[in-house]
Amino acid sequence: MNSRKPLLLVLAFVLVIGSLPLAAQDDQINMTMWVRSIPFQTQAMVDEWNANNDSQIELTVIPSAEFVTKMGAAIAAGEPPDIASIDLIYTPAFSAAGQLVDITEFVRELPYADSLTPAHMELGMYEGRNYAVPTGVDGSFIVYNIDLFEQAGLDPDNPPSTWDEMLDAMRAINALGDEIYRYWFSMNCAGCNAFTFLPFIWASGGDVLSDDYAEATITSDPIVRDALAFYNTIWEEGLVPEGASIDNGANFVNAFAAGNIGMAGMGNFAIPLFTNDHPDLNFGVFHIPGKEGGAASFGGGDVIAIASGSEHVEEAWRFIEWTMSDEAQIEIYAANGQIPVRLELVDNPYFEGDDRQMTAASALAVGFTPYTVVYNDLFNDPNGPWLEMLQIAILDGDIDGALELGQERFTQIMEG
Amino acid sequence: MIGSIALLNLSWQQRRKLTGLLFVTPTVAFVTVFFIIPLLMTAYMSLHDWPLFGERAFTGLENYQELSKDRQYLKSLDFTFRYTALVTPPIFILGFILASLVRHNIRYIGIFRTIFFLPVVIGLGVSSLLWVWMVDDRIGIFNKILLDLNLVPKAQLFLGRPNTAMNVIILSVVWKTVGFTMILLLAGLQAIPDELYESAEVDGAGYFRKLFYITLPLMRRTIALALVLSVIGSVLSFDQFYIMTRGGPRNSTISIVFWIFNNSFTYFKMGYGAAMSIVLLGILVALTGLQLYVLREKE
Repeated sequence: MNSRKPLLLVLAFVLVIGSLPLAAQDDQINMTMWVRSIPFQTQAMVDEWNANNDSQIELTVIPSAEFVTKMGAAIAAGEPPDIASIDLIYTPAFSAAGQLVDITEFVRELPYADSLTPAHMELGMYEGRNYAVPTGVDGSFIVYNIDLFEQAGLDPDNPPSTWDEMLDAMRAINALGDEIYRYWFSMNCAGCNAFTFLPFIWASGGDVLSDDYAEATITSDPIVRDALAFYNTIWEEGLVPEGASIDNGANFVNAFAAGNIGMAGMGNFAIPLFTNDHPDLNFGVFHIPGKEGGAASFGGGDVIAIASGSEHVEEAWRFIEWTMSDEAQIEIYAANGQIPVRLELVDNPYFEGDDRQMTAASALAVGFTPYTVVYNDLFNDPNGPWLEMLQIAILDGDIDGALELGQERFTQIMEG
Repeated sequence: MIGSIALLNLSWQQRRKLTGLLFVTPTVAFVTVFFIIPLLMTAYMSLHDWPLFGERAFTGLENYQELSKDRQYLKSLDFTFRYTALVTPPIFILGFILASLVRHNIRYIGIFRTIFFLPVVIGLGVSSLLWVWMVDDRIGIFNKILLDLNLVPKAQLFLGRPNTAMNVIILSVVWKTVGFTMILLLAGLQAIPDELYESAEVDGAGYFRKLFYITLPLMRRTIALALVLSVIGSVLSFDQFYIMTRGGPRNSTISIVFWIFNNSFTYFKMGYGAAMSIVLLGILVALTGLQLYVLREKE
């Protein structure tokens, strides 16, 4: 029996020593974070945070199309992540369902709250309370190929500022040859066209939804018809490659990167992609114009929120607050070509002298996002009324039929 | 130990029953966990307003009443049945022809059986993607051939028009599934004794007489199985439409399962999606029952 004693002592010693790191780990806060698969700098943010803080964040990247379903399933199962980077258009639905932590008191303490991108802040609110703040901002604008503009005899320093000027520019580029295209739209991609076509309507003072988001104004607002007619002209005159009619967004970015497209609707996520992967692409950007002038942009991107049920609300907010700090916004976002979520930080050493980034950032100041819990059903769904209306009006040329159908289906969805 | 003693005390018949019960237990457990419980849950969900997140509320039969007013639901049902009616005959007829061709065990026949069966082993998702590439207007092989042969003036957007999109999908599904029907029918063909054909030939029967008086009557059960599986597969089709057309163009290729998916996982109306699933289950049971009745073995 005695011969076993040393063995037991060794075993007890090993167990005590072995449990020490575990005890230490128990004190450490481990958080989970989910983000959809978009090229923001979330991974870089999390890596930097993990390298310099005791609390650690495990980041899970979820395919964009599956994000809301997975998030909803996780909430239903009682196991949501602590932090979620959510496509801003879904925030009202999550907030309304009580799935996000009210962070109003935290936001009030931010000295720079007023300079956070307005569209994202508005979408992050529900019944006057804050539930999310911007984390990846993405405004829409038009990119144009400076080389093609010059070849067509257009002045690249004075890009179009009305619909007619855009059409004239396209027709001028049209003369360059068969392999050169004047414009690109992905007409089988609902979200792409909410992002890049809706601003044409907004910039002209129109909208497809009433100010209180209670009803559709598709048939009552004449600007909607005009905008559809404008895009229909582009299609009818063959100013867009035929393949654009069936593109589901796969070529939304790539089409312009090929270098033979004159103009295309785009978002600022594309600027670092173009500059890094296509250094020979000589491009500029201009605001999406209204019929007679003006400018508008779709405020897209992600907001960041704490999911209800998180046991680490304070620490999660500490991370979120840090992501909006000067250090993170300039050294991680701006340094990688990503526009800061605080608009006063757009004047930074990395953007200096780059008109494209300045224009893209100023688009965010006029950025707007529809505030409705049925946004997905109305605009983003590939089988929803928005895309069907656009296809019938623009590709088939039946504008009246499209308006009637759009109004009917929008109303049906909005009335639940 | 106690269990085995208790088992020893049982009579032969009791032990036989117990053994039988033990044999079927895994299957019963499997069916219960993966079919009966989900089915009951679906039925329960269908009686509720069941969003993906947020409060659930009991609504009785409201979801079912809603169905009659859902224009897209009726349109999707119509589309699904039209698709099933169009895709089933080529799968069956081609499957039968292929099975007849590879029926006899001659040298190298295995190579042909393998080639015909090969598309079955790849997933429907993969095959749909493959076809999207093959009919692409810029890099697709179909357009390349048509253009090289001067059969078309410019590259065709096959998936951009409702009719051609439907034809491409039918072609892709026939290519993908015909091998399975061939294997089923081949098993049925090979089960028919050669003596029957020999004696028919002695009596002077030609190919068609043998086909209609020997082959088809004796393959009734196999044909029923092949048709039931093919029809069920077509009524439940989803992947090919989701991948190849996303329901387009102009929402012309939204199958019923696609619409259930949209309601459940895009609009998050899980209760409504469940109600549609229950109705579809009823339709499938009725359809399968009808097929089995028509193709039953007559005494």
